[in-house]
Amino acid sequence: MSTPTSTPASPEAGPDRSALVRAVAEHHRDQRGPLLPVLHEVLAEFGYVDAADVPVIADVLNLSAAEVHGVVSFYHDVRTTPPPTHVVALCRAEACQAVGAESLYAAAQERAASGEMGDTEVQQVFCLGNCALGPSGTVDGRLLGRLDAARLTELTAGWR
Amino acid sequence: MTTLDQPALGEPGGYAPEPDLGTPPVASQADATVTIDGRQVTVPAGTSVMRAAAVAGIDVPKLCATDSLKAFGSCRMCLVEVDGARGTPASCTTPCADGMVVSTQTEQVQRLRRNVMELYLSDHPADCQGCARGSCEMQAMAVTVGAVEARYGNGRDHLAESSYDASNPYFDYDPAACIVCSRCVRACGEVQGTFALTVEGRGFDSRITPGGTDFLSSECVSCGACVQACPTSALQEKSLIELGMPTRVVDTTCAYCGVGCSFRAEVQGTGEDTQVVRMMPAKTGGANEGHSCVKGRFAYGYTNHPDRQLHPMVRDSIDDEWRVVSWEEAVAKAADGFSAIQRDHGVGAIGGISSSRCTNEEVYVVQKMVRAAFGNNNVDTCARVCHSPTGYGLNQTFGTSAGTQDFKSVEQADVVLLIGANPTDAHPVFASRLKRRLRQGAQIVVADPRRIDLVHGPHVEAAAHLPVLPGSNVAFVNAMAHTVVTEGLHDEAFLRERCENVDSYLAFIARPENSPEATEEVTGIPAEQLRAAARLYAEAPNAAIYYGLGVTEHSQGSTMVMGMANLAMITGNIGREGVGVNPLRGQNNVQGSCDMGSFPHELPGYRHISRPEVRAIYEDLWGRTLDPEPGLRIPNMFDSALAGTFRGLYVQGEDIAQSDPNTQHVEAALRSMDLVVVQDLFLNETARFAHVFLPGTSFLEKDGTFTNAERRINRVRPALPPRQGKDEWQITCDIAAAMGFPMPYAGAHEIMDEIAATTPTFAGVSFARLDAEGSMQWPVTDAAPHGTPTMHVGEFVRGKGNLVETVYVPTTERTNRRFPLVLTTGRILSQYNVGAQTRRTANQTWHPEDILEIHPADAHVRGISTGDLVELSSRVGSTTLRAEVSERMPAGVVYTTFHHPVTGANVVTTENSDWATNCPEYKVTAVEVGVANARGLTDAEAAARDEREPAGRS
Amino acid sequence: MGNDIARQLAHLDEEEAVTRIVAHLDRFWDPRMRRTLQALAAAGDDTLDPRLAAAARRL
Ligand code: SF4
Ligand code: SF4
Ligand code: FES
Ligand code: FES
Repeated sequence: MSTPTSTPASPEAGPDRSALVRAVAEHHRDQRGPLLPVLHEVLAEFGYVDAADVPVIADVLNLSAAEVHGVVSFYHDVRTTPPPTHVVALCRAEACQAVGAESLYAAAQERAASGEMGDTEVQQVFCLGNCALGPSGTVDGRLLGRLDAARLTELTAGWR
Repeated sequence: MTTLDQPALGEPGGYAPEPDLGTPPVASQADATVTIDGRQVTVPAGTSVMRAAAVAGIDVPKLCATDSLKAFGSCRMCLVEVDGARGTPASCTTPCADGMVVSTQTEQVQRLRRNVMELYLSDHPADCQGCARGSCEMQAMAVTVGAVEARYGNGRDHLAESSYDASNPYFDYDPAACIVCSRCVRACGEVQGTFALTVEGRGFDSRITPGGTDFLSSECVSCGACVQACPTSALQEKSLIELGMPTRVVDTTCAYCGVGCSFRAEVQGTGEDTQVVRMMPAKTGGANEGHSCVKGRFAYGYTNHPDRQLHPMVRDSIDDEWRVVSWEEAVAKAADGFSAIQRDHGVGAIGGISSSRCTNEEVYVVQKMVRAAFGNNNVDTCARVCHSPTGYGLNQTFGTSAGTQDFKSVEQADVVLLIGANPTDAHPVFASRLKRRLRQGAQIVVADPRRIDLVHGPHVEAAAHLPVLPGSNVAFVNAMAHTVVTEGLHDEAFLRERCENVDSYLAFIARPENSPEATEEVTGIPAEQLRAAARLYAEAPNAAIYYGLGVTEHSQGSTMVMGMANLAMITGNIGREGVGVNPLRGQNNVQGSCDMGSFPHELPGYRHISRPEVRAIYEDLWGRTLDPEPGLRIPNMFDSALAGTFRGLYVQGEDIAQSDPNTQHVEAALRSMDLVVVQDLFLNETARFAHVFLPGTSFLEKDGTFTNAERRINRVRPALPPRQGKDEWQITCDIAAAMGFPMPYAGAHEIMDEIAATTPTFAGVSFARLDAEGSMQWPVTDAAPHGTPTMHVGEFVRGKGNLVETVYVPTTERTNRRFPLVLTTGRILSQYNVGAQTRRTANQTWHPEDILEIHPADAHVRGISTGDLVELSSRVGSTTLRAEVSERMPAGVVYTTFHHPVTGANVVTTENSDWATNCPEYKVTAVEVGVANARGLTDAEAAARDEREPAGRS
Repeated sequence: MGNDIARQLAHLDEEEAVTRIVAHLDRFWDPRMRRTLQALAAAGDDTLDPRLAAAARRL
């Protein structure tokens, strides 16, 4: 019966952010199906949708916070945490698996967990259409083939 | 007493849930006749095959369908075969077409169902026995379709690790048992209109969540619709987990608010040992159609709270300790005391107050005792302090002291004008109906100083919010009518045919002082905004007015009620579905207690005491001569008590010391009396001044009727015998008998028979008829044997509708330098009235104390922030409570509730009252607010100690 | 309280207002209250609205 407090908002979700999110939502409120455009614009602006944005968006769009939360959780590409500084996405599909993608993936995860790569998120993808040159992956968006643990260490050296 | 050990009426004994036909009814002119498994059945065209089958007595297995929700078609359990059609369509989403031939039990569909069920079971806790709450449709369905084993790996539930949520005080959520049928999500949206639930994630990972938090901190208002809709035990009442399944059902009526929801009390045990397992709103209930709010469904725990008094008590002076005595002794002390006062101080020196929480039968015998045994007309009801202006105003204009519609009527309304009411908090089940209508496209105009939930929220956006300044309602409604008339939007034909005083009223309302421009300053509403709202109302095909205590509790409450009636008449919005003027009554039986002749000037059925032919009916029956003059009203009783001429009072189920305005005055009056007899569940505030305490019964023990705001007479049936050993009507009759006037009844049904025999509007009412019909809306007469859902069709009850010139006269309660703010009062969802019941339940979780809402600007200049303890003072007193800075209030207006005695909000309200009916002006009090710490008060304890210190009059 | 009634009817002409006040008092007031009012009016209590006083004399 109270307004949802949910998870504590991240520090950067201050009053300025809330005003901005409100403005974004208001900008789209009169169009048909405004929620997705609003989420996309918030993502474009901040890189993720914060828990504290949800009730603000809900309020402007005459939705419940739960409904907005449901939509946010439905789409994988709607982040709910601040984006990492770096993203390493490794292919785990058939062709790459056959040439050692699994051990590469494990190595990358280990390195990330050790903190050696700073604020990096290791993601999995399934086929980048680069099968002939597997194991494939992207590092901060750059498509690379023939990856191995050593190459990865090299590429990410100095990331903090 | 009816026989309790026999099954309740309509129940063949034992427990069975209410039948579920799978999909909602369809309204359609055309019929379709279909053949299902060889049986022919005729249903309205468009009805689902599933529902048609159920009507024909064939249960098609189902999981995602239930008849309170639109069909969803996700579970694939309900597959059937249709002759001539390919595949196996879902019966819940397939509409019947004339001539269709359906088979529900072919081998193919049975196999498909079994497969589906096994899939479900493979991802569901295997241990049905261990869960064994007995209310699981899933378990029953598995047995039906013969899927006892899961072939897909047994019952390792992928949601098992998700957290069990026990945060809500009344129900638990166990994700492991959830099958993601989304019945709960849809119930929260479609039925309740809160949209607090959602499906999180997607595909196999999807799960139900109240918005990513727990239930208690979510938007959930704990109405329980989701629990009711859940086919498994994923959402389950805590009481059922604790007690197990009910063994029998008693059909009864909620005792909380004027919506008057019908419930099935699902209980275990018999006689004294009866335990309520849960309260289940009845789909057959005319007022609620299967829905309820947190109070009715869950907050019945007060009925066996340790504070409940079960023994009569007496004492000689209010400073003595209470002494437990026998019923005989207590009754004798009351009766002898009253007789002695009459001997020494005259017949008129005693009186009685009846309660809007008691049944019609209990109220009727109170007024009978006062008029016949006391021999005077000093009887009044607590409805005086809430809706007496409704009675007066609607009677003057239309000819009946009651609302014009049933609740269902709102489903036909195109524009709703909501004035001085907050239904989502005070009349939640009506609010759910209203919100559903708004989602279908109807518009709402909210005239209320507060920015209530119906102004803006999930799937609700008011066409306009008019924050009418407290005290200016009449100016506002006149400006509305002025706009309608001067812009030529009124219904001339309706006026000429159906109304009187037309020309003089039209001339009056067209006067420039009633224009939106002229009234802008007092109402605070910009003229253009008001004009737009008036046009919206006048131009709607069907426009309905709903109003609450924000209208009546004013010095011009009666005038305002007439003003709204005028507005409805000039636009022809009366006498059909979807329109009307409708009070939202506060307490459960406000309507009934007024109907039963609880006012000093009126006999039952609103017939004036001065009419000899009416008095003769009762004089012949009772064998006593009745006083033809009106008696004292509640405020007059207090004044006379202070003057020494009124010395004995019988108070039934009301806490006048807490709920009446200007507490100091009331307490002084009570203190000055020789004999105060209080009949209540608890030792309430009023009992502090009582000499005789008579324990009352809770609604679970009562046998009788309540009448809701739709004039609907609902049966209240006892689930258990009176815990203190006596029916409440019997207590009253015993006192009357001890005073020499026996009032013998074999049961409450005989009291209703007497009411029906003496009151024309109740002529066709009896317990037997009510049991047969479920409920009836008065008038129930030969002309309307099943009751009257819509009144004033074709002709007003008084003949012609009476247009009354409603001149705006400002209240004398003004803000000034010392008291620059206006205080207005209201209530919130989880608490009820003075809170005697709800405070004794887990509803406390949501509203542990009264809060003062204050606008940021007003808070800022006073250095107040949310959570501060503040002192609220008026010219009659002061109190301390916690502040919440809120944009819901306009600047200059503060708001609080009055649910908690420790706050005593009425310590500061004044004794101003409605000019016609003396209904107190709770809604307008000039006040000042300051940080309490400034006076050295630092915590709630200090507040509690000081709360009643009156401020000197200025 | 009586003054409140008189205030509500202030827009009417004297005769009509007094008639309506009398009717209201007859209908809704306990006779004791009417007698108190009559006594006040007879004593020339100047806190009474003149129309209320007129009505009281006519009760
Ligand atoms: S209890 Fe009512 S408001 Fe709460 S989630 Fe369930 S349906 Fe929604
Ligand atoms: S809406 Fe009123 S009558 Fe219905 S369940 Fe809630 S409190 Fe009871
Ligand atoms: S399988 Fe890895 S890129 Fe196609
Ligand atoms: S009941 Fe028809 S698909 Fe679920």
